[in-house]
Amino acid sequence: MFHIVALYTGVLLKGALKDVVLTVVSSILALILGALGAIGRIYGGPIVGGAIYWYVEIIRGLPAILQLFILYFGLSQFGIDLNPLSAAVIWLVAYGTGYAVEIFRAGIVDVAEGQHEAAKALGLSRFTTLRKVIIPQAFVSMMPNLTSFLVLQLKNTTMLYLIGYADIMYQARLGADATEQPGPLYLMVAVEYLVISAAIARIGSRVERRIAAYR
Amino acid sequence: MSNEVVVRVNNVTKRFGERVIFESVSLDVKKSEVVAIVGPSGAGKSTFIRCINHLHAFDGGSIEVLGHVLVGGTQPTRAELQQLNSKVGMVFQTFNLFPHLTVLDNIILAPMQVKKIARQDATDQAMNLLKMVGLQQKAQSFPKRLSGGEQQRVAICRALAMEPELMLFDEPTSMLDPELVGEVLEFIQRLAGGGMTMLLVTHEMMFAKDVADTVVIMADGGIAEKGPARQVLEAPRTERARSFLRRVLSPMAHDDRDLVANGGDET
Repeated sequence: MFHIVALYTGVLLKGALKDVVLTVVSSILALILGALGAIGRIYGGPIVGGAIYWYVEIIRGLPAILQLFILYFGLSQFGIDLNPLSAAVIWLVAYGTGYAVEIFRAGIVDVAEGQHEAAKALGLSRFTTLRKVIIPQAFVSMMPNLTSFLVLQLKNTTMLYLIGYADIMYQARLGADATEQPGPLYLMVAVEYLVISAAIARIGSRVERRIAAYR
Repeated sequence: MSNEVVVRVNNVTKRFGERVIFESVSLDVKKSEVVAIVGPSGAGKSTFIRCINHLHAFDGGSIEVLGHVLVGGTQPTRAELQQLNSKVGMVFQTFNLFPHLTVLDNIILAPMQVKKIARQDATDQAMNLLKMVGLQQKAQSFPKRLSGGEQQRVAICRALAMEPELMLFDEPTSMLDPELVGEVLEFIQRLAGGGMTMLLVTHEMMFAKDVADTVVIMADGGIAEKGPARQVLEAPRTERARSFLRRVLSPMAHDDRDLVANGGDET
């Protein structure tokens, strides 16, 4: 059993690194789009706001695997052939955005009405009010959700092996077939995921304490 | 007080849905005049002064503020409103300081963002304002670390930093512990003495009598009485004003007929 661990540690770590990079990149993009989406949802009027509402409903309503399969296999039937990496990034960003919109929206709505009134009474523009008054406060109330968002994004990378993206799960799967030792291999994957999630949670609570110092 | 009218409220009506908050209210405020608005809860006093800087839209009539004309039922452009708001300061019952910013950053935010004043100049001005109220050593504190009275004085400084020509106060001392009311009222009195034009919604009758030039009693969806402060508060002419004053001046003397007259909380 130990030779399995020794044999696969390197490969699995390489796969895990890919997952971490994917998580970070897709989360950053999803959060930017999510913030814009939330602003559009709240201030965009019925058309923009309605479109974003439905986008969020679709992303949250459809099973994750189904979304991924539609994107990768479904679209290829219509001549849109994505390689596994681009499909992975597009899906993680699209999926993450759906959740990020709701996280940002809840955070923004959470900011008290008096803050809007005070900003307006001072003559601040809507953009400045959002940037300087609302978003910074929204960030604080949404930090816990943001941490679970990152963990969710990380866990979603496990599904990417289904479209042939060579991440940690893919390597473990190959190893399990080759060595007929799924136990130790999947256990190693579990440990790596746990370590990364714990690191995210740790960083999250640090940041939370930092930016909520005023409370 | 000069004869120049800076606020002209003309026949203004405000409804929330079907409910009429007040109807056909008219009021002129002259430069350097101090107008205190008193009246029972739910009479629409807070809503009324929010119409003046258009935090609330209104349904009928017109309001002329420092040369800007607001017409009931129409939406002024955002640029116009921003211009108006940068000339009218407002102080809230609940202070509404920005909790994530230090005292100093609360005060310099609008001057820097709206008037594009350099940080150093805005900071100098803010420190002068804080010195005026003895809070310069709190400049780097967050609002949560301050007492209510200190927060409200900072909120007034924040409004003054925009060098407003008119100040609106919405029950500035209602949320304060009794022993902190004095420090805030004293500051407002100093502003009044300095010639600031102001409209002040308050429950402090003695303060209204001492500091205001004009007292307006709002009740039952309109102005029950208005006139020179002493005259309105000491010798009101209308029965509605008399019954209100009787209740606030001797709250224990129940008069059932008056108590039925009003209900509901102020929004």
